[in-house]
Amino acid sequence: MRIEVKNLKYVYSPKSPFEKVALDDISFTVDSGDTLGIVGSTGSGKSTLCRHLNALIRVQSGSITVGDIALHARKVDLKTLRKQVGMLFQFPEYQLFADTVKKDVEFGPLNFGFSAEEAEAAAKQALELVGLDFDEVAGKSPFELSGGQMRRVAIAGVLASKPSVLVLDEPTAGLDPVGKREILQLVTELKKGVTDTVIIISHNMDEIAEFCNRVIVLDNGKLIADTTPDELFNHSDLVDKTELDYPHTVKIKRLLAAKGCTLDSPALSADQLTAAIIGRAKG
Amino acid sequence: MKDISLGQFYPADSFTHKMDPRAKLVLVVAFIVMAFLAKNFLSYFAVMICVVSAILVSRIPITKVLKSIKAIIFILVFTGILNLLFYNGDTVLWECWRVKITVEGIIFSIKMVLRLVLLVMGTTLLTYTTTPTAITDGMESLMKPLKYIKVPVHDIAVIMSIALRFIPIISEEVDKIMMAQKARGAAFDNGGLLKRAKALLPVLIPLFVSAFRRAEELASALDARCYNATPNRTRYKVMKFSWRDLIGVIGVAVFIVLVVALNNNFWGAYEAVPAVWWLFSV
Repeated sequence: MRIEVKNLKYVYSPKSPFEKVALDDISFTVDSGDTLGIVGSTGSGKSTLCRHLNALIRVQSGSITVGDIALHARKVDLKTLRKQVGMLFQFPEYQLFADTVKKDVEFGPLNFGFSAEEAEAAAKQALELVGLDFDEVAGKSPFELSGGQMRRVAIAGVLASKPSVLVLDEPTAGLDPVGKREILQLVTELKKGVTDTVIIISHNMDEIAEFCNRVIVLDNGKLIADTTPDELFNHSDLVDKTELDYPHTVKIKRLLAAKGCTLDSPALSADQLTAAIIGRAKG
Repeated sequence: MKDISLGQFYPADSFTHKMDPRAKLVLVVAFIVMAFLAKNFLSYFAVMICVVSAILVSRIPITKVLKSIKAIIFILVFTGILNLLFYNGDTVLWECWRVKITVEGIIFSIKMVLRLVLLVMGTTLLTYTTTPTAITDGMESLMKPLKYIKVPVHDIAVIMSIALRFIPIISEEVDKIMMAQKARGAAFDNGGLLKRAKALLPVLIPLFVSAFRRAEELASALDARCYNATPNRTRYKVMKFSWRDLIGVIGVAVFIVLVVALNNNFWGAYEAVPAVWWLFSV
């Protein structure tokens, strides 16, 4: 689903001593099929921007269009919008509340008007998608589960409503490396289904480099780059100018280049890098 | 949830801000007694002057103090109307079934509302000029004598300051959880009372879970730093009774005496001006 953000500006507590400009004249578009990464240091406005996308924060000035819904209109059909734009918050496991996993995952679908059977089917599908066995966990209390499992249940709770856009706010924070990979592979998996557009906020450049086809950089509420990971990490000096970091793959590539071994491939993911190194060794 | 004014400290550099929290606590209690002592309009007037001068000395904008009244407006209207309609007076102005409005009722309800307003204004001055930490420190110090009857005074003070410290954190958490549930289609602002109460469950349960988690983590953190291993902790900021506190005590004492004197018409000393007197001494 296409998302268009134009001249978006947002000020916290306007006209008070605590006034703070969180977003300053932000414009960008996300096309159907994109996986967009949003990067920037803490306090750069990433979360504020994302919360606009399903009207948890209302537009103060500027405009946002998601599909054919105008978010800057005076009246917005919140149910339809929020069904289409799924949002996963940081540490989503802290939002679990129901007495069984099934009820918690069904919460979204039922709110969005699914029938009981549809909701159960959606919950089942979502739980299997995140790699949990429906029959095993459905009747359990979410609070009996391990931290990693709780996070999966919370993700399933968002996926169950079958959103066409998925916004993930640091989905891998606090997970171990294996857990991180699994969550992100899940995103790739998802894009084969109804969810065609994914937006990921992350501080982890490896994730951005590997999973996103586009990336925007925020700095102090301003959009300072709208580009591709290849462009950002391989062909610009923006990373050095901001508080961002290079992904490990790019670092390795540069170390190799310093030793006289230049690779032609963008080498953003670990697989690409290994392939490039093997190719170079052979040829 | 953003505008919880409970314990809201208003930073300023004033006489009242610099006073010893213990003195302020005692004076607030004395002030409450004073407000309840006042009987006629003249003594109420004295209490009012006391409050206004305290506000002026504390350099808190008067609008800020008036805002605290907004929180109890419902209580004010309620007590006002109830007293107006059901006070047992003699000079009946209007009567219908059991409800009657009397001159005495009108006077009494004005006094009740005035008393509540003055009480709130005076007591919020304490929280405006004193940080929550200073209040708990002051309370701890004042409760010291209770130690002799084995009351864990220090623990109570710590519990209080932790509770105060966590108010903004918990309120932020409420915001976050509400957003997360809204994103999943929860609606908090429509439907009847019961429906709304039920809609809050998905917020309250995660909130309690996280409150307990935080409590446990905090307890471990305190333990890990050997909290309470030494029986007598020293303080970084030592409270001191200064000349400001003496002035405060004298000021409030004078006002209390004045209120009592006005209540009793100065024991008949001022009967020379009976006309004005009659107006106020009801």
